[in-house]
Amino acid sequence: MIESALPGAEVEVVDETGSGDHLRATVSATQFAGLTRIDQHRLVRAAVQPRMDDGSIHALSIKTRQPEAGG
Amino acid sequence: MPANPELKQKVEELLGENQVFLFMKGTPEMPRCGFSMRVVGVLDQLGVEYGAVDVLPLLDPLREVTGELADWRTFPQLYVNGELVGGCDIVEEMFESGELAELVGAEQPGEATATPPQAPGKPQQSPPMQLG
Repeated sequence: MIESALPGAEVEVVDETGSGDHLRATVSATQFAGLTRIDQHRLVRAAVQPRMDDGSIHALSIKTRQPEAGG
Repeated sequence: MPANPELKQKVEELLGENQVFLFMKGTPEMPRCGFSMRVVGVLDQLGVEYGAVDVLPLLDPLREVTGELADWRTFPQLYVNGELVGGCDIVEEMFESGELAELVGAEQPGEATATPPQAPGKPQQSPPMQLG
């Protein structure tokens, strides 16, 4: 879902509680270049919004990275 | 549902008056959510002055307001110079990297750890909730 919204993104999702609805996503995407963190998170959140709306994801914690940005 | 215009105006005033402003669940003295507590912990470590409002009494109306102002509807939310910086994840990440100290003009504490030292393995718990 995130990959289709952000082509080329590397996404790692961890199910934090084992229940499948509390997820931690680490996303690395070139599309993040030049964006503030909050804008990066907005992109990721928008990608999963339908799953938040239908309740299949209850909580999503997001970490964003830029692939080639050092540090 | 559109935000209540009076509440929105009040929020805009608060953001204008406070360089650093936190929407949180509970108060800095008594946070009622683990994520809010962690943001308070970061701000305390930075020693920065900030305004804070407890969103719980007006949770849904405030969601509408921050949704319109910043396209963000979950709390906590930290604002600096009227701009949304982020919630707990972003605040902790920017604190650890030193970006947050720079943004608010504070000095980075010597040992920047977002989570205060705790007994290892102890689960993070929200303080008791008040119902009704």
